[in-house]
Amino acid sequence: MATATENNVLESQPRTPGNKNDARRVRRGGKVPAVLYGAGKEAVSLSLDPRQVSRILHSQTGYNTIFDLALDGGERLKAMIVDWQYEPIKGALLHIDLKRIAMDRRLKVEVPIVLTGESAGVKQQGGILEQVLREVEIECLPGDIPAAIEADVSELVFGKVLRVSDLPHGDKLKFLTDGNQPVAHITTVKEEVAATPEATAAEAGAAAAEPEVIKKGKQEVEGEEGAAAPAKGGEKPEKKEKEKK
Amino acid sequence: MLMPKKVKYRKQQRGRMTGKAWRGSELAFGDYGLKVLEPGWITDRQIEASRVAMTRFVKRGGKIWIRLFPDKPVTKKPAETRMGKGKGAPDHWVAVVRPGKILFEMEGVTVQDATEAMRLASHKLPLRTSFVKRESAAH
Repeated sequence: MATATENNVLESQPRTPGNKNDARRVRRGGKVPAVLYGAGKEAVSLSLDPRQVSRILHSQTGYNTIFDLALDGGERLKAMIVDWQYEPIKGALLHIDLKRIAMDRRLKVEVPIVLTGESAGVKQQGGILEQVLREVEIECLPGDIPAAIEADVSELVFGKVLRVSDLPHGDKLKFLTDGNQPVAHITTVKEEVAATPEATAAEAGAAAAEPEVIKKGKQEVEGEEGAAAPAKGGEKPEKKEKEKK
Repeated sequence: MLMPKKVKYRKQQRGRMTGKAWRGSELAFGDYGLKVLEPGWITDRQIEASRVAMTRFVKRGGKIWIRLFPDKPVTKKPAETRMGKGKGAPDHWVAVVRPGKILFEMEGVTVQDATEAMRLASHKLPLRTSFVKRESAAH
């Protein structure tokens, strides 16, 4: 298991904390707004180069990479990315949360689960491997954070479930996620049957039916509407007759 | 066809579709997805047609998740009716989508099959979409 600590440096510039307009100005300048907190110290607003952050997020150790954060005054400290937001359409980074890390204190992180091998349930029984849980929360020292937790699923068959307690880990890691929680299992999907004309007609009939209205005063409202409608209708024919004359 | 079981009111106003889909814009279940790139309404029939297109293509090979639900009633007046006399009767159901929303997700198929299935599904939809896939487990 590769540890997440890497010898890379993330340059940062201080910025004055402000509202969303200030954050937009930072983004327009080609930077991404960020905040640094943790270790009982005050939060500091920063701006970062999105390419450097993206490189860390897409590295082998991913978001659990511990790096040196270079502050504007030349000070360097250990930090890691704890949260980040993407723009939903183009996927550009919007904001980063960084946390100060003490290398001698245990911390809680989420580590991705990677399934390896081809399961017997897929190969021999024709099922589909469904990964229910993709990340597991662990507690360990910053130097012991694994890049990923690999789980072999080659013996997974129908009716058998890979649980968190089955994941391999050493003494340095402590799983915080419930051990009973399922990670992966073999499932099956019913094949789509070509619709018969009868079924299509039945479905059309069902679609035409309206859902139940869950309002207490439904009857009264409908009654009012019904009462109001003829009154309106009653006025309009008179108008038409006048126009004709 | 998808539709709500119970509703509080039979008819709704049209509403606005400003902004982006800040929720439901990331893959939550599967490895591949279809993301919508513009705002609009997707009807229950279009969702069903997309689902059928995908399931027929992947056969028993993959699992599909539908991440949108048509919970907005659309009314329609009968043909050759004069204007007025109130709002028409509920006709069908639509899902309001904003750009960035993941419409469908898929797992248990190859990337080629997922791309093709999503392409077939996108042809049943009235909006521009793009195929998205999960980054590697370690990002």
